[in-house]
Amino acid sequence: MGLELNKLSEQVNNMGSTIASRSAEIADRLPKARATLAKITNNDPVLEKKIERALSMHWTGAIPTSEPVHAVFQCPSHPERANIAAADGSQVYPDRHGIALYYLINTGSIIFRHGLDEAPICSSNPHLFHEDHDLYPNEVLIPSSLVNARRDIAELRELAQIAKREVKTAPTLLMLDNGLLLYLGLQTAEHRQSDEILGEYLETLSDIESTNACIAGVIDRPRAANVLRLLRLYDMENDMFDNHALRTLGDYSQLTDRMLFGTLQPGERSAIFVNASPQNLERYLPKGQKIVFYYVNAGTSEQPVILRVEIPEWVANQPEQLSLTHSGIVEQARFGKGFPYVLMRSHELAVVSWTERGHLDEMIGSSMHRSGLSAVISRKAQGKQWTNSAKRRYGQ
Amino acid sequence: MNDVNSQEKTNLSIPIGRMLRSDTTGFTFGCLLPEPEVPLFGDFVKAPAQQGLTEIIGIIHNIVIEDDLFVRQLIAAPELPEAYIQDQRKNRQIPIEVSVLSVGYSSQSNIIQGLPPQPPVTLDYIKRCSLNDVIHFTDRQDYLALILNSKETPAEELIATALQRASQARPIEDREIFLLQAGKELARLLSDDLSKLNSILRRIQVNT
Repeated sequence: MGLELNKLSEQVNNMGSTIASRSAEIADRLPKARATLAKITNNDPVLEKKIERALSMHWTGAIPTSEPVHAVFQCPSHPERANIAAADGSQVYPDRHGIALYYLINTGSIIFRHGLDEAPICSSNPHLFHEDHDLYPNEVLIPSSLVNARRDIAELRELAQIAKREVKTAPTLLMLDNGLLLYLGLQTAEHRQSDEILGEYLETLSDIESTNACIAGVIDRPRAANVLRLLRLYDMENDMFDNHALRTLGDYSQLTDRMLFGTLQPGERSAIFVNASPQNLERYLPKGQKIVFYYVNAGTSEQPVILRVEIPEWVANQPEQLSLTHSGIVEQARFGKGFPYVLMRSHELAVVSWTERGHLDEMIGSSMHRSGLSAVISRKAQGKQWTNSAKRRYGQ
Repeated sequence: MNDVNSQEKTNLSIPIGRMLRSDTTGFTFGCLLPEPEVPLFGDFVKAPAQQGLTEIIGIIHNIVIEDDLFVRQLIAAPELPEAYIQDQRKNRQIPIEVSVLSVGYSSQSNIIQGLPPQPPVTLDYIKRCSLNDVIHFTDRQDYLALILNSKETPAEELIATALQRASQARPIEDREIFLLQAGKELARLLSDDLSKLNSILRRIQVNT
C-alpha cells in the first residue's frame, strides 16, 4: 500500500493553520530587527569588542565591512559585452545494491556571451569513478559527503577552465548554484581527506583569481541568519555573554536574513558582510581566501526574490568585479523569474535523470557480460523495482 | 533534371531523427531543430525493422514541437535577447516529434504496399527516402487506400501533399501521367465520396 492521502487530510489542514500562525508571529518580529539594523554604525567600539569575543567562541555571525550595514546599493549598469558562465554538477552515489560499485559525477556548464546574438556554448562532462582508490579512499566505501565535495570541486574546476579561455574576450563572471564555503567536505570524519579536498578547492579558487574573472555563489531562498546574529550581538548588554546566548537568536528567533532584507527594491543589494563562520576565518583565511556576502533582490516589485550572493573578498575589493556580480546576476535573473538563467541551464545540463541512470546501468551490465561477469542487482533492489513500478490492474 | 539530381545528392541517407515509439500502423521519431534536413509534412521516410531485414516506408502526417515550463515562462519575458532564443532553439534538447503513417515496406528489393510485419525499434535512425526510393515506391498506388482508411491522419491533405512530392520526384515529362494514374485510383477508392475526391483532385491540379 502506498501513501494514502485521504488519511493525511486532517494533518495537512492542521499544518496549514500552524504555518499561517507561525508566519504571522515571525512577521511581528521583523520591525524590531530592521530597526536594530538601522541603529548599527560602523566602527562602533562596543560592537567591535563584542565581535572580537564572539569570534573567539566560534560565532557564525556577519562582520560589517567598510559599507554601512544598512546601506542599499542600486543595480549598476551591465557592461554591453560580458561573458557570463555557470557550472553545476550532479552525482550518482555508489549503490551497494546495484549491478556494480561505482559513482558518477556529471558537470554541466554554459557560457553566455552577453551582447552577442549567438547561442551560448553548452557542455556536459560525465566522469565515472570505479577504481579501488576512488571507491575506498579510506578503506571504507566513499561516503556521500565526499562524493558531493568531489562534485563541488569538479564544478569549480570547470569554471576555472572557462575563465582562462573567456577572460581574453570580455569581462567574465562565473556563477555557482551554491555558496563558496565547502561545508560538506568539511563535515567528513576523515580530516586528512577533508584537508586535501579543501586544498584542491581553494587552489582552484586562487587559479580563478589569477585569471581576473570574478566568481559568485548564488543561493536561492537562503536560510542563513548571519546578519541577525550580528543584531543579536548588538542587543546584548555587554561582552560578557555566554555560549548559549551567542548560539540563539533571542527576539529574532526563526527569522532569516532573507526576511530582514525583504525591503530591498528590484535590483538593489545590501551591504557586504564577512561570513564569520570558523570555516571561513580558520580554514579559508589562512590559505588566502575569505568569503563575503550580500543580499540582492533579483525579482520584481510584484514578486521580490532575495538571493544570497557569496563572493571572495578579492572580488568585493575590485569595484568593477563587484559591479559585474551584481548587475550580471540581476540581468540573468530577468529571464529566470528571479533566478539566473545560466544557473537554470547549467543544472539542466548536469542533471542525471532516473531514465539516464537506468541506461548507464544497462551499458555497464553489457560491458560486464562481455567480460564474462554476471551483472545482477541485489534481491532487495530487485524487489524495489517490482513494487515501485506503475501498478496495472486488469480490466482498466 | 538538374534540380532533381542535386536534390537527390542532398537526400542520400542522411538520418533525420531517431525512433521514439512505434506500432504496426506507424511510428513517431524525434529530431532537433537545427537538423540539416528538417522533415516536412507529406515527406516519405524510411526506418529499419526486423534487424535490417526490412525497411519500413512511411509518410509524415504530423509534426509537433513540444513546449515545457521553461519555454513558457520565457514567452512572457519582455525584450527577450536573441541569445536566449538561440539557446532554446539550438542547445536545449527538446525534440520535435514527427509522426509517420506506415504505408509499406521493402524486403529483399521487393516493395510491398501495406502494413509492415513489425514496427521499427526505439532509437533506430530514421532517414528521408531518396527520390529514387519515392519513385520506386509510388509506382503503384495501393498505399492510397491505407491513408484513406487511417483515422489519425488528415487524409485529404496528406494524399494531396504526398502525391505532389511523388510527382516532383519524377522527371517533368512523367509527372502528368503519374498524377493521372493516381487520380484514377482515387476515383475508384472514393466512388462513394465525390466531395472528398473532388477536394483532393483540385489540390493536385492547382499545385502541379
